Amino acid sequence: MADIAFLLIIFFMVTTVHELDRTDLNLPLSVMREEAEKGAAIVAMAEEDGQYEYHFSNGEDTSHLVGGPEDIYLEASVLTAADPKKQFIFKADGTARFEKVDELLDNLRKADVTRVILLSQQATTDSGGGQP
Amino acid sequence: MKMKRKEAPAEIPTSSMADIAFLLIIFFMVTAVFSATKGLDFKLPSNDDNNQPAESEEAVFIKVAADGSVSVDCQPMELNGILDYLEPKLTRDAEKPVILYTDPYASYQSMISVYDVLATPKADDPAWGWKVKNISVPTQTEIQDYIDIFGFNPFEAQCDGA
Repeated sequence: MADIAFLLIIFFMVTTVHELDRTDLNLPLSVMREEAEKGAAIVAMAEEDGQYEYHFSNGEDTSHLVGGPEDIYLEASVLTAADPKKQFIFKADGTARFEKVDELLDNLRKADVTRVILLSQQATTDSGGGQP
Repeated sequence: MKMKRKEAPAEIPTSSMADIAFLLIIFFMVTAVFSATKGLDFKLPSNDDNNQPAESEEAVFIKVAADGSVSVDCQPMELNGILDYLEPKLTRDAEKPVILYTDPYASYQSMISVYDVLATPKADDPAWGWKVKNISVPTQTEIQDYIDIFGFNPFEAQCDGA
């Protein structure tokens, strides 16, 4: 039993990852999904009571609350200045208004970000999301 | 008489090891998260003044309305009809730009659903020898640039009179 217990401990120790952003979101559904690079920066947008709040992680530290898209622009600019090929993970609710999503993507573009992963949940062909 | 003290054999106490092991297992089980790091690959246009915007007249124009309905070149279309519509056009010109314009009041999911259709290659179909290479999603700044030049939003006016 002790062997099994230690085997389980080692399994969990090896597989446990420190999630940098724990913003609780109902991600949009898509059939096509690609794995983001390790160390990708994270931009998260969450809506609460009609107010949008933004979280940012540089890919190494846990995400923190930022004031708005302009702050995302400043933080992203610092990262792209150091690494122009830096990948960003974008997280937002599927129900978010595209206007807000676009505003954020536009600020990332201004910060010279070119590689973005639009984080999504796996859709099946009958789940209503992605391809019908 | 001299009493000889009986020495206990030296050993590591292991009675509490199982407790510690299970405590660690429970800790790792509770804290383990399956990190979600998968999504749609999206290329933002480089922030370069020399970057040529896709000319709308030579591109396929897909519009996602505020209610999530989709029109392609001003014709209402279901999601599963988009690739069939694009196939002859992109077979002739693989680099043909596809402009995906989403109404600001549409949901993010509506845009993702269309983008997903365009980004998903039909790898399981050997006869399907093409994919949408050139997807352009105009951002607010680009749209504002157009408005500054033309005085109106050309993407909103694209289908007027069609």
